[in-house]
Amino acid sequence: MVNLFNDYAPLIISMILGALLGISLYLPLMTGQLSLASPGFYAVGGYVAAIFSTKIFLTSGLYPWYLLLLEMAVAALISTLLGLVVGIPVLRLRGIYLAIATIAFVEVLRIFSLNLEITGGAVGIFGIPQPFNNTLEYLWVVLPLLIISSIILYRLENIRVGKAFIAIREDELAAEAMGIDPTHYKVLAFTLGAILAGVSGVIAAHFLNTWNARQGTFDASIIYLTSVLIGGTRTFVGPILGGMMFTALPEILRSLANIPNLPLWLVGFLKDGRLIIFGVLIVIGTLFFPQGLVTPDLFNNFSKLMRTGLNKVRLKKI
Amino acid sequence: MDISLLLQNFLNGLSIGSIYAIFALGYTLIFSILGIINFAHGALFTLGAYFTYALMGEAFGFNGLLANLQLPIKLPFFLALLIGSTLAGFVGVVIEYIAFRPLRKRKADPLLTVVSSLGVALIIVNLIQYLVGAESYTFPSNTYGNLPAAINFGSSDKPIPIRTVQIVIFVVCGSILSLLTYAINFSRFGKAMRAVAEDQVTASLLGINTNLFIVSTFFISSFLAGLAGTLVGSSVSISGPYLGITFGLKGLAVIVLGGLGSIPGAVLGGLIIGITEAFVPADYSAYKDAVAFSILLMMLLIKPEGLLGRRFIQKV
Repeated sequence: MVNLFNDYAPLIISMILGALLGISLYLPLMTGQLSLASPGFYAVGGYVAAIFSTKIFLTSGLYPWYLLLLEMAVAALISTLLGLVVGIPVLRLRGIYLAIATIAFVEVLRIFSLNLEITGGAVGIFGIPQPFNNTLEYLWVVLPLLIISSIILYRLENIRVGKAFIAIREDELAAEAMGIDPTHYKVLAFTLGAILAGVSGVIAAHFLNTWNARQGTFDASIIYLTSVLIGGTRTFVGPILGGMMFTALPEILRSLANIPNLPLWLVGFLKDGRLIIFGVLIVIGTLFFPQGLVTPDLFNNFSKLMRTGLNKVRLKKI
Repeated sequence: MDISLLLQNFLNGLSIGSIYAIFALGYTLIFSILGIINFAHGALFTLGAYFTYALMGEAFGFNGLLANLQLPIKLPFFLALLIGSTLAGFVGVVIEYIAFRPLRKRKADPLLTVVSSLGVALIIVNLIQYLVGAESYTFPSNTYGNLPAAINFGSSDKPIPIRTVQIVIFVVCGSILSLLTYAINFSRFGKAMRAVAEDQVTASLLGINTNLFIVSTFFISSFLAGLAGTLVGSSVSISGPYLGITFGLKGLAVIVLGGLGSIPGAVLGGLIIGITEAFVPADYSAYKDAVAFSILLMMLLIKPEGLLGRRFIQKV
């Protein structure tokens, strides 16, 4: 069992990072706003980590953990500022303007990171030092982040801020008429998502050892959007499961392609046609599962089943 | 500053701006009639270019499933252009039937429709990559027959060469624009289309077949996308299936600049962005793509309804 964990450690860490990025996309979605900006903040966080560890603090051997925390704090700060700069002007508007603006934002970030000296141009920055000896030890950093985010999201629906988010999602005009300032809460959700994405980027940069402009592209936005849509847009469990599933999906497809005696075109399709499958899943998902796979109804039915299954005698009394 | 250099940049900008304008016209037509942003438009742009390339009898490369595909027919450019764009139009209609109509029937959130169009764009672009590979293809150099490669305005010691293909693009854009403006503003068909764009339910109560007009709008918009794709392919080259995605994103910038849903706005926005891009100094040519997106972000800050758009007052 331990061997299984060791062998699949990179995949497990990637899955948890995918889940974190799914949550960072879910937060603006709770207010009904489609934001495709998470890969942009992810890339910014990664560049912060890369520049800090290769150009500013040069250490030999293992990278000290307090510097890692410092990088995460700096990345969170920069993501907050960027999130406010992009979010406040755009979130005054209703409708899909945030989606368009975030697409433009990600593209501008990508072009700048591709051309500036400090980010290493098209080659990127490589040789980012590792803070841990063993890949599995990344769980020390990643798992608490996921657990804290999950607890926060679980409690979010029951406090004032979470209820405001849901009210804005259901009907923005009515929420405004009831005294909820939509811009304030939308910017809050967007910035929280940005911070989470930035911190994930810091961890990912150390995990992957290298960082370049390809980490934050429009393609990545679409992949995380798919994972959140199919996973579930109404509960926080959906994006976590969706993010994990869609990070593991290419590996599953690749191993499926290694089954002997498959026709050649199917093998090629499984290996390279991953994005076609994502596209088909998006179209089918919006048609048949508009709320994703993991919906609140699922939880309600499950608890109802548990209750009726266990208390059959009591119900018959009525 | 040298006036001939200025004029050269300006004319270059006009020609690339015309392509942006044709592309954005299709985008804005669908937005005005359905209220959604059709991300699959960029994919249809690429599809049109590939269709015309195949119809001209050119060969595809070694990668992909249909390696070395070469159709036995060899059509002249303008005929291939029309047929390729019409094929793109039909694909657009198919997309409407498969992806958009079921969502309309379920009265889905517009956001869901936008995401569905993203999915369709993903499918089409990656299907092209899977079938014919991701190489770049150039149209043959005798595309325009016996016309010279460039026409020289200005005198012989200060030449201002304009590539013939740029003049063709400008002429095509101008004629399409006048045809579309005439059709929409002065014909019965156009009047019905404007009615459907204004209010679908009332239009259907007045006896207009809304579904037919929505399908026609998709056909026209996809035809325009295929046309723009072919023109770009013939003037520079088809740099791979992802050309459509980049253009699609820039098209967003154009329609936001011009005003979502406004046809003259799309043209104006396209020309402005084209000319601005042409005047980027050569040292910063890598940032040329960032120009369109920066303009988009600035427009969202200053005047979100665009230059020629109307401010929507949403009634509850």
